[in-house]
Amino acid sequence: MVSEKDPRRITALLAVLVAAGALALGLAACGGSSGGGINGGDTEAEEVKLEKKGSGEVTISNWPLYIDKQTVPDFEKATGLSVKYIEDVNSNEEFFAKMDPLLKQGESGGRSLFVVTDWMANKMHELGYLQNFDKSALPNFEKNLVSNLKEPSYDPNREFSAPWQSGMTGIIVRKDLAPEVKSICDLFDPKYKGKVEMLNELRDTVPLVMKCLGIDPSEADEADWMKAIDKIKEATESGQIRRFTGNDYGADLTSGNAVAVIGWSGDAVQLQADNPNIEWRMPTEGCILWSDNMVIPVGSPNPTAAEEWINYVYEPKNEAQIEAYVNYVSPVEGVKEILLKEEPEIAKNQLIFPSKSFTKNCTIQPSPSGEEEQNLNRAFNAVLNG
Amino acid sequence: MRRRVAPYFLLGPGAAWLLLFFVVPLYYLFELSLNAGVFGSYHFDWHWANYSDALSLYDTQFERSFLYAGLATLFALLLAYPLAYTIAFKAGRWRNVMLFAVVAPFFTTYLIRTLAWETILSDQSPVVKVLDTLGLAPEGHVLATGGAVIAGLTYNFLPFMVLPIYASLERIDVRLIEAGKDLYASATQTFFRVTLPLSAPGVVAGTLLTFIPASGDYVNAQFLGSASNQMIGNVIQSLYLKQSDYPAAAALSFVLMAAILILVLIYIRFAGSEALMGEEAV
Repeated sequence: MVSEKDPRRITALLAVLVAAGALALGLAACGGSSGGGINGGDTEAEEVKLEKKGSGEVTISNWPLYIDKQTVPDFEKATGLSVKYIEDVNSNEEFFAKMDPLLKQGESGGRSLFVVTDWMANKMHELGYLQNFDKSALPNFEKNLVSNLKEPSYDPNREFSAPWQSGMTGIIVRKDLAPEVKSICDLFDPKYKGKVEMLNELRDTVPLVMKCLGIDPSEADEADWMKAIDKIKEATESGQIRRFTGNDYGADLTSGNAVAVIGWSGDAVQLQADNPNIEWRMPTEGCILWSDNMVIPVGSPNPTAAEEWINYVYEPKNEAQIEAYVNYVSPVEGVKEILLKEEPEIAKNQLIFPSKSFTKNCTIQPSPSGEEEQNLNRAFNAVLNG
Repeated sequence: MRRRVAPYFLLGPGAAWLLLFFVVPLYYLFELSLNAGVFGSYHFDWHWANYSDALSLYDTQFERSFLYAGLATLFALLLAYPLAYTIAFKAGRWRNVMLFAVVAPFFTTYLIRTLAWETILSDQSPVVKVLDTLGLAPEGHVLATGGAVIAGLTYNFLPFMVLPIYASLERIDVRLIEAGKDLYASATQTFFRVTLPLSAPGVVAGTLLTFIPASGDYVNAQFLGSASNQMIGNVIQSLYLKQSDYPAAAALSFVLMAAILILVLIYIRFAGSEALMGEEAV
């Protein structure tokens, strides 16, 4: 039989249609949710309902390389619980995009507890995605949380967030290749054209650049943020900024592809231990201070065990073990004293136990919200995607 | 009667699969692309402005994507054709080994292969030193430039170009080529009048298999490019995962799909149909 149309062409067309559609879907696969259900506005979070004693399994979801190997087994031995510890938080935004459709329906995907940065904890709380702690099971947390973290603006009574680690965002340099970089403004020196990298995080990079412009990030309005974003845009277009990164700036510093970057203090400790030419520089303008927090989501299975976990890591002896491995700033009082005996190198490190004078110019990470957040996100991502 | 039902019966599972995992999600994606509002209160509203925004805000990235994908397809073709030709006609007993070598990179994951290019093209690497001496690295570095992104795309999609071309070359009846010789055609003439037209379906398939995924790729631009080399895939990824702007991302996905379809239809119309006909004409 001879058909009018060449069947092969039709097949080819179909193949193309399918391929193009599959492509669109592939890109879209992570989005899923079609909006709807609003939880915002209602900030009256429910309190967790505890059993007498936790039993069974607890699933803890944290960032990669954020714990030593021994703490989980020790906790299991001490409590009789079995812990499923997963490292599936790589970025606040991406974790949120993944969790949002679940949390919206009151589920946590089996996670009893997870760790997110201040602003994300705040956002999730506003959306009604988090439960309040039952503090009666958290005596160590009440007693040992360091005083400067007791009253963050978004959770003044620490009802739903317990810091896991804190840290600073500042400058990391190759001191052999960029010895003179001491301030954020120095990153814009044409001498280092194409060798400077910045974080792809709105709330880390932009406030630091504001500081270079003489703007106080804690008082900044939308126009101030935009001024800093414009400066970053200019530096991107001129080729001054090589690229925007997550933690992968470490590899670029090591290889010399980058000589000065905006980076995180804990990474700096690790990088300078591996390569003596890499060094943290506290920007003359000061740094950005932030915390990652343990939170208990709605639908959390076994919140009793989750609270036991929080209480456990707030025991200085246990936290010291984590701290010796992690290299960020401990939110637990009394850890320094223990480490002074066991690991004095760590206890004396300003990046792990910063003194008041070390962080005197630093600012707590600001977090725009609502429409302002959306506008700034759009403007900043327009720079990232050139 | 029976003969008419059987084909539909055989189509069933595949069709059901496509319906469930392609048509249905596509429908939801389309609905999502017409949502209005801000995050937390997206609602369906025939919001066609998402589409005009997608075009007006991200035209640069669209142009860049098609430029990069087009160049990568061209380079892949220039590399793949001689390679496929050699494997099909000259490799002899090495044929299977060479085919394996073409496919071998798939044993490592796509991400790792792309990351390996970060090392190959790093500023201190011998490759870049040589390019710099030759004046081919005007910015002093190769990574974080458009060239690196195109190189990565070419490399990653090369097997998709080689295999269809090889398959069509391998099927050619060598007697046709001998006939060309018998009729006093030079080797060049035989190639352009016999071999090349006969392999055209493979070339068309290879270019489509390279160009379509390369246009939507975001991995190469992310690792090998700078902020000025990001492609439309990076924008969609950022809208979905970083900005939670699902309607804009969905609209952009549809625009990308439509743009690719149009480009490909034009291509098939002008190059493709002739190529396919060419085979029949022989």
